[in-house]
Parts: sequence; C-alpha cells; structure tokens
Amino acid sequence: MAVQQIKYIRLCGLKKDRKKILERLQFLGAVEVSDLHLQEDDIFKKSNLAASCSLFSQNVKEAKEALDILNREIPEKKPIFASLEGKRQATPKQYEAFCTRHDETVDRAKQIRMLSDEISQARADILKMEMQAESLKPWFSLDVPLDFTGTETVSAFIGAVPEEWTQESIYDFLARNAPQCGPTAAEIISAGPEQTCLFLLAEKEDCAEVESALAAAGFVRPSVQSDRPPKEQAGLLQKEISEKKEFIEQKQAEIRNFAAFRSDLQFLSDYDSMRYDKYGVIGRLVQTKRVFLLCGYVPAEKSAPLEEELTRDFDIAIEFSDPAEDNDVPVLLKNNGFAAPVEGVLESFSLPGKGEIDPSFIMAGFYYFLFGMMLGDAAYGIIMTLVCGILLHKYKNMAVTTHKTLRMFFFCGISTAFWGFMFGSFFGDAVSVIGSTFFHAAVTLPPIWFEPLNKPMKLLIFCFLVGIIHLFTGLGISFYQSWRAGKYKDAICDVVFWYMLVGGLIVLLLSTKMMVSMFDLTFIVPAPVGKTAGYIAAVGAVGIILTGGRSSRNPVKRILKGLYSLYNITGYLSDILSYSRLLALGLATSVIASVVNKMAAMAGGGIGGIVGAVIFIVVFLVGHIMNILINLLGAYVHTNRLQYVEFFGKFYSGGGRKFTPFSADSSTQYYQFREENKS
Amino acid sequence: MNFVNSLGIVFALFGAVLAALLPGIGSAKGVGATGQAAAGVVTEDPSKFGKVLVLQLLPGTQGIYGLLIAFIALSQIGILGGAAQSISAAKGLLYLCACLPMAFVGYQSAIHQGKAAVASIGLVAKRPDQFGKSMIFPAMVETYAILALLVSILSIVGIGNLKI
Repeated sequence: MAVQQIKYIRLCGLKKDRKKILERLQFLGAVEVSDLHLQEDDIFKKSNLAASCSLFSQNVKEAKEALDILNREIPEKKPIFASLEGKRQATPKQYEAFCTRHDETVDRAKQIRMLSDEISQARADILKMEMQAESLKPWFSLDVPLDFTGTETVSAFIGAVPEEWTQESIYDFLARNAPQCGPTAAEIISAGPEQTCLFLLAEKEDCAEVESALAAAGFVRPSVQSDRPPKEQAGLLQKEISEKKEFIEQKQAEIRNFAAFRSDLQFLSDYDSMRYDKYGVIGRLVQTKRVFLLCGYVPAEKSAPLEEELTRDFDIAIEFSDPAEDNDVPVLLKNNGFAAPVEGVLESFSLPGKGEIDPSFIMAGFYYFLFGMMLGDAAYGIIMTLVCGILLHKYKNMAVTTHKTLRMFFFCGISTAFWGFMFGSFFGDAVSVIGSTFFHAAVTLPPIWFEPLNKPMKLLIFCFLVGIIHLFTGLGISFYQSWRAGKYKDAICDVVFWYMLVGGLIVLLLSTKMMVSMFDLTFIVPAPVGKTAGYIAAVGAVGIILTGGRSSRNPVKRILKGLYSLYNITGYLSDILSYSRLLALGLATSVIASVVNKMAAMAGGGIGGIVGAVIFIVVFLVGHIMNILINLLGAYVHTNRLQYVEFFGKFYSGGGRKFTPFSADSSTQYYQFREENKS
Repeated sequence: MNFVNSLGIVFALFGAVLAALLPGIGSAKGVGATGQAAAGVVTEDPSKFGKVLVLQLLPGTQGIYGLLIAFIALSQIGILGGAAQSISAAKGLLYLCACLPMAFVGYQSAIHQGKAAVASIGLVAKRPDQFGKSMIFPAMVETYAILALLVSILSIVGIGNLKI
C-alpha cells in the first residue's frame, strides 16, 4: 500500500546499440523517458526523425484501413465477451521474425485498399449508369438515336417540353407561334403530367423559326445523348451494369482471399505503432557522434534487474539517483490484491500528490463496506460475485483496468451479500413471497441483525456511526501526513482540535435525554462524562478560533479567520448527515425488490399452476435485472461520492502525474509482448 | 364527521400518487434532456456510449425513489396487499404530508440533476479520462433527493405506528 519509490535513471550507450537497447527497454516497459533540457551544440545533438515517423504512421493507417475493409467483407467472428479477452500473447522473437514479412504485409494492405477503391469506383459507375438508363425510359419507343439531328433536307428536334401535350396541341402551337414555317411532323414519344417527350421534323430552312418557337414552349434536349436508339442503349447499359457487378464480386472475392493475412495485418499495425513510439523516444535522446544519453524515471524495485539485464548484453553506463526535489516525478502505486482494485477509483479522482500517502488500502476497506450497505441484497451480491469471479477465472489476459474493475465488483459483491444476510434481504422478500404464493407456507429468511424497514432509526444511527468513523479516519490520515512532513503544528491545529470538538460534541449530545429519546437509544452517556466531553469540545473550539487563522499576522484578522474556520462545524454536520444515503439507498434496493416480487406474485400467483409459475419467473427476472442494474449504478456513484467528497475532503487533494513507461503495451492494440522465460 | 373521516384514505392515496407523479415527471425531463446530449456525443464517438449512458441514467433515480415512496405508502394504507383499513382524516393528511418532500424535491432535483448531467456529458465528450469526476457533479444534486426520500420513508413508517 504505497506510492512506489521512483529513481532517476541516466543511461549512456553506444550509438550502434541504440536500436537494440531501446527495443529491450520497450519490451521491459519499466522506464519513463523524460526530456533532457540540454542546449544542442556541435557535440550534443538531437536527431530529427519526422520522416520515418510519418512513414510508420502511414503504414499503421494503411493496415487499419485494410483491416476495416477486411472486416466489412468477412466480419471477424467475435464471442460475446471479446472485449474481456485482452490482447493476444506474442514474444519478442515473433517481433523480430516479423521484420522479414513487414514489407510484403504493407504491400498486401495497399492491395486490399486498392481493391476496395476499385470496388467503390465500380459502384459509383453503376449508380451513374442506372441513372442514365432511368432517364432513357421515356424515350424507349423512339427508334432513332437521341443525337439524330436530321437528314439533308429535314431537321429533327428530339427533346422534352414541360406539362402534357398532344399531337394536336403541338401543331396548334406551331401554327400560332411559327406561322411562316412549312409542313412539320410531330410525334409524341411519351407524355405525362410533368413532361412530354417529343420528336418533331421540320424542313431545314424552317429550322431556326421552329427552334425559337419550341424554346418558347420550354423545349430542352435530353440530358443523355447516344448514337443508338434509346432502347438499345438502355440494354447496353444494363449489360455493362451486370458486368460491373460481376467485377465487384470478383474483387470482393479477391479481398476475401486476404483473410488469412488478417493477423499479419494486425501485427503490422502493432509493429509500426511500436516503431513509431520508439522513434519518438530516439528523437528525445541526446546524441553525440558515437554515444547517446537517455534520462528518465524507473521504479526503484525494477532498477536492479534492469541494470543487470542491460549490462549483460550491452556496453553501457547506467546510473540511478534519487530524483531532485523540483523534478516532476511520476506516481506509480503498488497495492496487494485487496486494495489494488480501487486504484482505478482513486486514479479517476487524482493520483497522490507530493507528500501524500496512497490511500488505496484504507479506502478499499471502506469502499467495499459502503458499497455493500448501499446495495445490501444477498442474492444480488452473490450474483455479482459469481459473475465477476467466473469472468476473472475465464479470461486471464484481460486488460489491467478491466481486471481491476471486475475484482472491485467481486469484493463489493461479497460485501453486498454479507449486508443482504444481515438485513434479511434475498431478492427483497422473495423467500416469503414464493413460499406463500406457490407453497402456501410461511417461510421467511430472518435477518441476522435486524430488518431495516422495521427499525429505520436504528439503521440511521448506524449509518451516522459509519460516517463518523470514515471521516475520523480521513482526519487521522491528515494528521499522519502533517506529522510525517514535520508540520507538527498543522497536525495539532487542523486535526486534533477538530477531533476534540466533533468527538466531544457527539458524546455531549449522547448524554442528553432529547437525543436518546429521538433516536430510540438503549443507553445514555452518564452526565459527568457528557460534561467532560463538553469541556473537551470547548477546548477544541477555542483552539480552532485561536489557530484557524494562523496564516495571517494581524491578530484581529487572525481571530476573525479563526471564527470563520469554526463555522466549518456545519461542514462536519452535513458530512455526517450525508451518510444517511447508506440507509436510503439500501432501503431502495430491498423495497423495489419487494415491489417486483409483489407484482410477480400478483401476475403469476392469481393463475397458479405451471403457467402462473412461468409468468412469475418472467416478471421476476425482468424486474430484478432492472433493479440490480439501477441500484448497482446508484451504489457505485454514491460510494464514489462518499469517498471523493466526504473522505478525501479531509486529507487528500491529489495532483500526481501517472507513471507512463515507454513500453510495447501502451502502443499495441492487438498483441501483448512477453519474454518467454519470464512470467 | 364520518364523511370527513372517510376521506382519510383519499388523502393518503393522493399523497402516494403525488410521490409517484412528480418525481416521475421530473426524471422523465432530466433523462430526456441528457438523452439528447448523449445521442449527440455518440454520433461523434460511438465508443463513449457506455460512459454517457451511465450519466443519462443518473437523473432517473428520482422517479424510482418516488415509486418507492408510493409503494410504501400504498402498502401502509392497505391498498396494496391486504384489506384497506379505514384511515382517519388526520392520518390520511399525515400520509399526504409525508409524501410531499419526495414529490417536490424529487421533481425539481431530477430536472436540475439532468442539467448537471448534460454538462457532465459535455465534459466526458471532451475529456473522457475525467469520467470519475463528471459523475460526481450530478450526484451532488441527488443528495437532496436522497434526503427527501429519507424523510418521507421515516415519516411514513412512523405514521403507521401512530394511533390517531
């Protein structure tokens, strides 16, 4: 349970080993590389590798695109819990071996993309041709090509005019608008309310007159032109379309042939991602003609094996030192199996800042405890524990964060089951409902402790007690942190006085008759003890008034500030009251579960027999699944809140930066590299 | 007097109905508003679905708390499960009063929690790594719904034991 000690590492190696050393570091994943702020001069230089980097990212993009295309053609078969399976295992040997296949795989990726480009081109062509064929339809009965303009003596007009026309109305129109022109022959190819397709012949010398008359009627020539009669042209288009479709199928089959290389493409994506990251690190190194210098952070416990591993194979100078005070040292947590699962919760608040302890272990105990109280149903807890346990057992390689989350819910499940039995809730009151509905027997699952709905006040008091312990633990950690840092005055003023004030007030309240009768307590604190507690509280209060504003020099200001910090007692009151949510959410789970049971019993119990039992089971399952999900969410959110706001508010502000080592794992997506001979 | 006393169960039922009605409406508004924001985020980045769904659900709890109060009240006055006892007008009014904290606080807090959740969805859209904190802002609003729930539960259970 601690923040790991981090060492500053300086590594100097020969340039000829640079690639090998960095590869080894990448597989080991123990070092976070940091920039060395050194002015470049004639001797020390940084290399610019933007060109190689862009090539790698190009390859990664190409590989991912090819995988996308491949997945569209033949979707990868994935089991339901595929996301839990984690990355596939691979060894550094495989990484080296891939080098020989790298270029051909890039070529394959390019081929796949080109095939896909051809397919989309063909698809666009098909669409274009289909539209052409569609626009030819009104012209099907025309037996000359659409670009037919006439003979030596006759001009032909082929085109469409808006709205519906008949042969007579055309002649009529021409007679009125082109009175000078000679004989014409009009043929309606097709007519509809939108447009009329027209074939009109006129003598060549009348061409201009007829044309201007037609233009007045809104005559336009067809948008598609062809040198074949429309029907024949359409047939030709259809043939081309089917050819293109065949072409597409053929290309799709070609793409499908690449399915065997899917894992190679995935490897390529990871391989070049790793190279990209490696070159990024090389760009940050300081180099001379023959040597390079790498600086960074490494967890203290990994420094010795790292040194041994590197000096065995390479000629290097390696040096570890304690990081300087003003260094931005990254934070890495180390916890046992019980506390590590809540690291994720801690991390999503903030990692411990300078001088702060890692609260994971203390937090873990409270986390499971509070979560269990809020969900508080034995059956739900058992289901959670089983589901998480089975998943954890079945999928060994899942991502670390997923693994932690599942383990957290595993422990929360155990606690939930515990509190469920304490309060006698098993799917709410399912035991007695099923007993009375189907077996006419009065079976009950008696609570080990007591039934909350019968004695809500008792549970409320218990919740406040839990809250006080939780808050006082937080204050205790604050005391420890100040004491460890040598700030004894802060430890006394900010913690001990508050302990005296809040603790004293609580004992004082418990000695009054009013409180005892209000909360239905079975005991009363004897008056002398209450009186003493009152004095202790008063000393605490005076202490806070005198020291709360110790940062100000002005004595008046100091006392005013002290009074203001005494006002913070309302904060403690609301913090403690906040734990009443343990009662409310716990009751919510069991009462809604009872509602579900009642509905199921009303629906199924009335009918009885097999049908009734089936209806009962359906309502029961649907209702309880919904209840589990909603209350799980509620318990999760509110446990987090109690930790973040009430608990952390007392001692923790965070602000640490996460240790992000230079590792293969952070760059890859599909594979995880492990040395064969090590675990 | 008999007529007035016969209204006891009406008052009590009115309270139960209010407890189911108002927080339900509030939650519907809250979840609706967050749903729109969540859908917007998912159009840009489908991988955030899980996170924004959690945030969308947050303002939904008030409706459930309301249901809970209604249910406890209904079973206390005997409308659900068991013969309806005759309830005096005073007791009926007491039940009505006991339901009000949940009804009103539930309604308003669901709407405002919805607004906070919409803002949190915006936060997650831009900085998915801050999901833990984004959940806390709406949860702060819910505190008051929980306090109201607590008062309503304690009152209803307490009234059941009164002899008036």
